[in-house]
Amino acid sequence: MVKEIERAGIPVVHVCTVTPISMTVGANRIVPAIAIPHPLGNPSLTPADEKQLRRKILTTALDALSTEVDGQTIFEVK
Amino acid sequence: MKLEVGYIQIRDIQTADKSSVKDGILYVNTKELEALALEDEHLKAVCFDVARPGESIRITPVKDVIEPRAKVEGPGDVFPGVITKLNTVGSGKTHVLQGAAVVTVGKIVGFQEGIVDMAGIGAEYTPFSATYNLVVDFTPKDGLTAHEYEAAIRKAGLKIAYALGKLGVNVTPDEVKTYEYPSIMEAIKKYPGLPRVGYVQMLQSQGLLHDTYVYGVDMKQSLTTMLSPTEIMDGAILSGNCVSACDKNTTYHHQNNPVIEDLFEEHGKTLNFCAMIITNENVYLADKERSSDWTAKLVDYLDLDGVIISQEGFGNPDTDLIMNCKKIEETDTHTVIITDEYAGRDGTSQSLADADPKADALVTAGNANQVITLPKLDRVIGTLDYTEKIAGGYAGSLEKDGSITVEIQAITGSTNELGFSRLSAR
Repeated sequence: MVKEIERAGIPVVHVCTVTPISMTVGANRIVPAIAIPHPLGNPSLTPADEKQLRRKILTTALDALSTEVDGQTIFEVK
Repeated sequence: MKLEVGYIQIRDIQTADKSSVKDGILYVNTKELEALALEDEHLKAVCFDVARPGESIRITPVKDVIEPRAKVEGPGDVFPGVITKLNTVGSGKTHVLQGAAVVTVGKIVGFQEGIVDMAGIGAEYTPFSATYNLVVDFTPKDGLTAHEYEAAIRKAGLKIAYALGKLGVNVTPDEVKTYEYPSIMEAIKKYPGLPRVGYVQMLQSQGLLHDTYVYGVDMKQSLTTMLSPTEIMDGAILSGNCVSACDKNTTYHHQNNPVIEDLFEEHGKTLNFCAMIITNENVYLADKERSSDWTAKLVDYLDLDGVIISQEGFGNPDTDLIMNCKKIEETDTHTVIITDEYAGRDGTSQSLADADPKADALVTAGNANQVITLPKLDRVIGTLDYTEKIAGGYAGSLEKDGSITVEIQAITGSTNELGFSRLSAR
């Protein structure tokens, strides 16, 4: 899906847990997620901490979307 | 470690007033076994059936398959840390009721259990069509969570298999095999010219009912570690898996791991089988990195020449497989990986979710997406309620005439990545 959308000229950020697979399939902008059963959150955190975590993943993804890349790049969530 | 395994050939299972093994017949008092299973307060009812090779029977949803075994001599007993006391197993003597199996049935997840056909084309895709099966169908008490239900079935199945195994303790086996697994130093001294070969067995540990237990420890909580292959024969590794039926290792697979059997067969002839390493397949990327680092570290530390790696399951564990392979190859150790494929129904899609040029020696156990039509069989043990939802099934799988069209993914053990299957290629 990542590749097909990019083929249509729209940049894509792939947020995924297993970044090596994302690299293998050819995504250009990759943001590491938390875990396979809960990629965009962490149920072991308090709701407040989890909200902050989710926001960080999202802002990292938005930053990645607006960043020029020369090749496949992983944007770590800070 | 030295383990003597005595195989008692079982040629039928029959219900009787007294449980015993006599002249190759396993007689079972199901009332006694029912009482044993219902010791667990989570279970409401249990129902027994016998399914024999060639009978027109479909068993589904199958959870686990267990071979009845018990120890005759030596420290500990089978399934240590789970239903017997914690003790290091793998030495002494063990008796096996070969040809018999306990098949546990229950709708835990529903779509992640399997199908075993005792006759017809489906029977050719599962090894458990060739065993005499005591099928145990468990009904949980109301309000039980899936996790509690899984744990209850897992333990009850093991207890039944152990109770049956104990019936063979005083029976003279038809065949005895001895497996010797010396210390690494001894092994290297004994066969100085032979390549040192290890086996890295990957165990499903993704959580959410995709779990494997080692001496009672949930493998996702363990780092990569080592044990003797004879410990595995004594039930040190148990399946707690509700996952696609084709390539999960049931407890029976662990008890009879063909990679271990074949490495023992070649040991001292063409190779020196001197290391058994087990590792996990977790859902955090950091865990995948850490466990594969550890696998490669152990291989390097042991100075092995070659390693066989077997995977369990598919999808994200393909990454664990490739990480293990790549990192071990980087220690100048040759690897061969055993996996299966999800190459689409026409076989033209990418087979694995991950890949690397270093993974250049691979054995495939088949394409799990291959579609098959299973004819109607006379009897169903369990229920067909989940046939259209089972992994490999789809809306419309169950035809009006009672036949089922599914991917072979739905058949227990069809693409087993230990090679415990009958699939081959022309």
